[in-house]
Amino acid sequence: MSVPVMTVPGEPPASVSSAAVRATGLTKVYGSGETAVHALAGVDVAFARGEFTAIMGPSGSGKSTLMHCLAGLDAATSGQVFLGGTELTRLRDDELTRLRRDRIGFVFQAFNLLPVLDARENVVLPMQLAGRRPDPAWFDAVVARLGLRERLRHRPSELSGGQQQRVAIARALLPRPDVVFADEPTGNLDSRSGAEVLDLLRSSVRETGQTVVMVTHDPTAASYADRVVLLADGRPAGEVDRPTAASVLEALRGLGG
Amino acid sequence: MLSTTLANLRAHLPRLVAATLAVVIAVAFVVATLVLNETSRATLLRAAGAEYVGTDVVVTAADGSSLAGAVGAVAAVPGVRAVDPTTAAEVQARFPGRSEAYLQAQAVAADPALRWQRVTDGALPDSPGEIAVATTTEAAVGDVVAVTVYDPATGEATSTGEATVTGLVDLGGDPSAGLFARGFAVADQVAAWGGTEPTELRVAGWNRTDPEALAAAVAPALGFAEVEVRTGEQAAEDAVAGITGNRLALAAVLLVFATVAVLVAGLVIANTLAVLVAQRTRDLALLRCVGATSRQVRRSVLTEAAVTGLVASAVGVGAGVGLAALVSALVGTDSPLPLEGVAVPLYAVGAGLAVGTLTTLLAALGPSRGATRVAPLAALRPVDAAPLRSRGGLLRFGAGLLLVLGGAALMALGVLTVNVYASLAGGTASFLGVVLLAQRAVPPVVAAAGRALGRVGGVPGRMAAGNASRNPRRTAATATALLIGVTLTTAMVVGAASTRATAQAGLDAAYPADVEIGAYGELPASLLPRLEDVDGVAGGTALLGVDVTAPDGQPLWVQGVDAAAATPVLRSTADLTLPAFGEAVLPQWAADSYGLRTGQTLTLQAGERSRALTVVVGDTGLGTPLLSTADLRALVPDATAATLWLRLDDGAGQRDAIEEVTELTGAAVPDAYVTGLASERAAIDSVLDALLLVVTGLLGVAVLIALIGVGNTLALSVVERRQENGLLRAMGLTRGQLRALLAWEAVLVAGVAAVLGVLLGGAYGLIGTASVLGGQDTVLLDVPWLQVGGIVVVATVAGLLASVLPARRAARTAPVAAIAAV
Ligand SMILES: Nc1ncnc2c1ncn2[C@@H]1O[C@H](COP(=O)(O)OP(=O)(O)O)[C@@H](O)[C@H]1O
Ligand SMILES: [Mg+2]
Repeated sequence: MSVPVMTVPGEPPASVSSAAVRATGLTKVYGSGETAVHALAGVDVAFARGEFTAIMGPSGSGKSTLMHCLAGLDAATSGQVFLGGTELTRLRDDELTRLRRDRIGFVFQAFNLLPVLDARENVVLPMQLAGRRPDPAWFDAVVARLGLRERLRHRPSELSGGQQQRVAIARALLPRPDVVFADEPTGNLDSRSGAEVLDLLRSSVRETGQTVVMVTHDPTAASYADRVVLLADGRPAGEVDRPTAASVLEALRGLGG
Repeated sequence: MLSTTLANLRAHLPRLVAATLAVVIAVAFVVATLVLNETSRATLLRAAGAEYVGTDVVVTAADGSSLAGAVGAVAAVPGVRAVDPTTAAEVQARFPGRSEAYLQAQAVAADPALRWQRVTDGALPDSPGEIAVATTTEAAVGDVVAVTVYDPATGEATSTGEATVTGLVDLGGDPSAGLFARGFAVADQVAAWGGTEPTELRVAGWNRTDPEALAAAVAPALGFAEVEVRTGEQAAEDAVAGITGNRLALAAVLLVFATVAVLVAGLVIANTLAVLVAQRTRDLALLRCVGATSRQVRRSVLTEAAVTGLVASAVGVGAGVGLAALVSALVGTDSPLPLEGVAVPLYAVGAGLAVGTLTTLLAALGPSRGATRVAPLAALRPVDAAPLRSRGGLLRFGAGLLLVLGGAALMALGVLTVNVYASLAGGTASFLGVVLLAQRAVPPVVAAAGRALGRVGGVPGRMAAGNASRNPRRTAATATALLIGVTLTTAMVVGAASTRATAQAGLDAAYPADVEIGAYGELPASLLPRLEDVDGVAGGTALLGVDVTAPDGQPLWVQGVDAAAATPVLRSTADLTLPAFGEAVLPQWAADSYGLRTGQTLTLQAGERSRALTVVVGDTGLGTPLLSTADLRALVPDATAATLWLRLDDGAGQRDAIEEVTELTGAAVPDAYVTGLASERAAIDSVLDALLLVVTGLLGVAVLIALIGVGNTLALSVVERRQENGLLRAMGLTRGQLRALLAWEAVLVAGVAAVLGVLLGGAYGLIGTASVLGGQDTVLLDVPWLQVGGIVVVATVAGLLASVLPARRAARTAPVAAIAAV
């Protein structure tokens, strides 16, 4: 069932024109000399607008590192990352920071919220940092869709793990970013809360055309995506279109993971 | 366990260094104070007691009579090697190119061991016609000094002669060296100048003589009474004690400030250790998991504190000695408190080490108890940042409240009964109470200020407000350390301002005119208008003076004043009585000599004219009776001015104005005298200013330590909030905004402490002044708003500066730190 679609070197794939994010020749090396770890060893990858993509691979395959480099959280050792027409790998720290708050949304596995702020303040934080006012109608729509209306005044410590992740998703969606990155967003949740969160991510893609890139090691979570990109030893190792839990599992086995 | 402790120490060293800076500074302060005290003692011993220090025994005639007859008896005592009868002559000496001046010539001991003079150039004389003089005479070796001896009874010159300078003697910080010239000649020469009768014998024993024993042997040999036999050391101590009664008081005052510094350092270090322990909760819990008992954990924390405290104290002792050496070098021997080199007494080193180590240990007690409460399971849970609720909180609150209320009552009593000691006790008690209450009082204030800040400071401001209130205990402790310094500084500033205002009011009342001009003859009428034109003279009034005939038929010098014209010229009429028309103000002496009381009638005559006036007994500020100008003119129509009163403009130009007034007056009336009381006012100001500067400098040390605390707390928060700051950076907080966040947090804590401290300090300053000066007629309470505002600004800005380093570190946090494994 797996249909590996390798890109032809030098010729961008057909989807490039509509790609929200793409990377070419991306490498990331930690340390140097004998102890150097090639977390990314030359990755070319593209994510289409309005697509929900999952990145999968064995532990240590470089999933998180790839996401950090794509999202401008970490600097790549070499290669290029484009967000739409902007080359991230050329930006200075402040430009990168502004780009993150204006055009990228994040959902992390844990520690997503600032403990001193309540849910509402956490949700509007990136917009406030940018000095922008959220569109009230959109804010209400996001909050309603994520079922947070009754929880807006609560501090993170007063929310369950699932609720905290929903606040983080609301925060990521509110500025209508070019892309939302999620790193193991369900890793700390029980299966019901996890399913809820994945549903919400998928519906944001279906209903509002949001681009979402999610790192996960859970085949069930990956089955919510439109496409799965596989990673092994810091290199792309195939893709799975319209994945199911079973097809993903099989593709993973094919990696020897 | 010890190896774990030491490993911990090494791992946390950079942070501990920052934390213990507070201890280093406080210990340095204590040690510098003690060392300077000892240095000044040693300097004086060497200088004022120089002639005794190397002497075994000193025999002094208690009544100043001659000891010439005792020399033989003392020399015959077994164990005595040499006796030096100290003779001295008083002569007039003229050094080349200078006028004749008093010189005290002392005999140089024949025995080398009894020669104490420190010769800096040339040598001591060894034959008549030679003299060694003190360096302060500024003579040179080879100069020839003309010496004249006068008969003290008749004042006639009895002999003249010359002496060649053979050497210069350094008298160091001997206070007498600055007052008159001193010289040293052989005994025969001193005798020739009239110094024959010794009043003191200096005795040297053989090597290894015990001075005490020798003194005991010498005493019985002096059969006749009225002699005092002391060891040389004792005599030197006595000589120094005679000069320096105030030295001890000075040391005591310095130690009070040192205590404040130590207290503040204790608070800062306690806070820092608490944070360090909290950060290590997981490590400690892990230790518990693998089998460490809670006692072992506590011992580990305390050992760490002891080692840290000891090291910091040792550094502090070194810094203190260095500081003292620096001060000593700067002050030198040409000052009211001569200092030469440094004398480091063992007790100063011991006290420094003990104070620093004990303070650190005491400060560690709380945190170490916190460490033992860590449950082994805590290692397995994510770090809980929620503040601990202290069991001692309620007790502390109660004690604090009690101290504040009791202290306030005592202070009220002190103000009402003008009792400084009651106020001082009340102030100390209430301040301790405030420090205890601060834990509860400060966080709500910070939260309220934070809400206001959130409105103006944007997102970083709002975040900073949240962060500052999130660990109330830590915020309170940090703020309290600063609060102490600010409170005491403000109390001093306000107290000094009020003292100044009260003293000035007292001066105004005692010397109501800025400038008073008098003359033995008359003052020309044209003088006043000319003086009024002088730059800096605000106005003036002339008092007429005439001789009239008193009731007893004797002539009486009286003056006349126009009260309406004089009042605006005078600074104050509180102690002064100005006569209305028909009144005569009599000073007490005049009233007594004519037997008159207020309300009775005084009749004055001048030629054929006479006038009956109502007596008012009071102070005229002139010493003479005072009439109104109209009454005086009725007696003597052509009376002329005898006294002028001038008022100067306030401000800096008073000295110039007085100079010009003096010049003009001197040109017009050569024998006139000008008294400028404005300069006295300025002198009081400058004394108070100097005192204030010194005190503020000393308290500045406490403020500095507190600010290190602010920086430390922030630095540790930055470490704790690594993930959080990473998250913020990922969310789009720029480096600048992150620095702003930390800066706002520092400003919030420092600003709240500064404002509270200023309010408290202001109250203490006013209460203190009221209870010290309450006995004065007028107590003026004055708040120097500009200076007080300055304190708030300086403390807040310094807090801001303290955030710079932590903020730089925070800004380096990579956004990925947020997602890095917990
Ligand atoms: N900060 C780092 N320093 C050194 N090595 C790292 C660092 N972060 C990740 N690595 C290494 O890079 C490789 C990829 O890590 P990561 O991207 O976290 O993998 P994944 O998320 O797929 O489990 C691993 O071998 C990991 O040990
Ligand atoms: Mg990962």
